[in-house]
Amino acid sequence: MGGKNLALTELRAEYEREVVAPVEIGNLQRSLSLWEKLWDSGAVRKLLILIVLATIWQVYATRLDNPLMLPTFFDMLVALSQMFLSGELLAKIDTSLRVLLLGYGGGIVVATVLTILAIRNRLGTDLLETLTAMFNPLPAIALLPLALLWFGLGLPSIIFVLIHAVTWPIALNVYSGFTGVSNTLRMVGQNYGLTGLGFIWNILVPAAFPQILTGLKVGWAFAWRTLIASELVFGVNSGSGGLGWFIFEKKNQLEIASVFAGLFVVIVIGIFVENGLFKLIEDKTITRWGMKS
Amino acid sequence: MPAQNTPISESFLDVQNVTLQYKTKEYLVTATYRVNFQVYQSERLILLGPSGCGKSTLLKAIGGYLQPTEGVIRLEGREIVKPGPDRGMVFQEFEQLLPWKTVLENVVFALTAGRRMPLHEAKDQAEYYLEKVNLIKFAHSYPHTLSGGMKQRVAIARCLALQSKVILMDEPFAALDALTRQKMQEELLELWSGSHFTLVFVTHSIEEAILLGTRIVLLSPHPGQVKAELNIDWDRLDDPGQQEFKELRDRIHRILFKDQIEYVI
Ligand SMILES: Nc1ncnc2c1ncn2[C@@H]1O[C@H](COP(=O)(O)OP(=O)(O)OP(=O)(O)O)[C@@H](O)[C@H]1O
Ligand SMILES: [Mg+2]
Repeated sequence: MGGKNLALTELRAEYEREVVAPVEIGNLQRSLSLWEKLWDSGAVRKLLILIVLATIWQVYATRLDNPLMLPTFFDMLVALSQMFLSGELLAKIDTSLRVLLLGYGGGIVVATVLTILAIRNRLGTDLLETLTAMFNPLPAIALLPLALLWFGLGLPSIIFVLIHAVTWPIALNVYSGFTGVSNTLRMVGQNYGLTGLGFIWNILVPAAFPQILTGLKVGWAFAWRTLIASELVFGVNSGSGGLGWFIFEKKNQLEIASVFAGLFVVIVIGIFVENGLFKLIEDKTITRWGMKS
Repeated sequence: MPAQNTPISESFLDVQNVTLQYKTKEYLVTATYRVNFQVYQSERLILLGPSGCGKSTLLKAIGGYLQPTEGVIRLEGREIVKPGPDRGMVFQEFEQLLPWKTVLENVVFALTAGRRMPLHEAKDQAEYYLEKVNLIKFAHSYPHTLSGGMKQRVAIARCLALQSKVILMDEPFAALDALTRQKMQEELLELWSGSHFTLVFVTHSIEEAILLGTRIVLLSPHPGQVKAELNIDWDRLDDPGQQEFKELRDRIHRILFKDQIEYVI
């Protein structure tokens, strides 16, 4: 570098100035218009998509004009409201959700025990890795015949299959979340004198929460899917079956609008849990903590 | 608290003949070889050395995260065998705060984690130290909304609140911009003059070592061995000591430079 005269550009005047104090600039924020807010909300945008889909359905089914194959959206809604009013559907939903929660909860417990074993010693790790490698690829439904043989026709069989469906994806995700926790955070936890379960609960669980949540979501989807499928195969337990059984039954009675209504409920519950419940948990946790990638 | 007029002459933290090794699947690395030094109470001891010479490893061993393969580290005469809050640690990474806790909760949790302090007391203490590092306004913010310098200040506040016997800092300002770093260095000295904590501070910046330390342990390149121990016997807060500063810096340069020639040959 040479002296200042070697500058390639024209020499400009120097200056210093006082900047405006931030308080005088006033409120730099502006609140968004109602329209902007609505468009910003994922729920609203998704609702819009659903409305479009329902419209397509309605138009297509009307033109097809074959209620046995594809009833219209409104026929489905009518069937749906009738069954709601009669209380028939609510009882089915109730049955299904109860079974689901039992299986889901059971799966979470098994997964928790397995992952805790896995991070505490090497044999536990081997156990978890072997078991997941064996069972994760196995479709839950494939275990149903065996379950029937062992537990008979009824609730325990479905719950067994559900636990199988839920355990592996959750255990896999939680374990990989735990192993991914940074060394620095681990050392911070140890610095505080945390060990054992205290360390897991206070450091590993929150630090791995994004993956834990993913595991819970995947587990939920698997559970819900498996439940409906296994109810379709054998829904009858002590008189009142669940939603899957309901769908099967209505198909046999050729009440196709009701079949669609049943499917619709399955979908709506799925959407509600995914976009409502899990979204809420996500907003309250990882989004707030800046841990959402 | 040290008495003002009788100088402390008793070793507080004693690193004796410490060899540290990492064993991976393929090989064994010796990070430091037979390192000796003593830290007195209220001293600000700097571990200075080139990158990869084992400074962090040494600090981790003092923290109790790593056991020496040879030698022993003692704090107040007791051998260090595991991590604990009596040796609070500040890391280089900004991601050392628990992201799921607010600034205040982070400090409070450090105090309550081992059930060592009741919650309300911990809160008072946390607020006191956040005040000291000028972050009380951000007490209820989550770490991801803070700048790097602010995060490091929280980490320092957390460490001070622990009231550890020794505070261990591993290049806490290395990832900061020059202006912020200088400010943080001054703040650290001010905090020290408030409570005279014992500090072991790792850096690879000669300037930072001279600015912050009362004694510098100079380590050789990999594997780290002690090359020299130097004193800094002027009070930086009263007098920047321009002349001494330059002389000391050149001296340290020479010691490091000597190494490099050996290295090239
Ligand atoms: N986890 C590890 N496994 C294997 N070797 C390691 C590990 N951590 C550090 N080392 C090796 O030990 C030596 C010392 O590393 P250390 O991190 O203590 O250096 P440092 O002085 O802190 O360097 P820097 O100034 O770059 O942080 C290096 O040669 C490094 O390769
Ligand atoms: Mg280092």
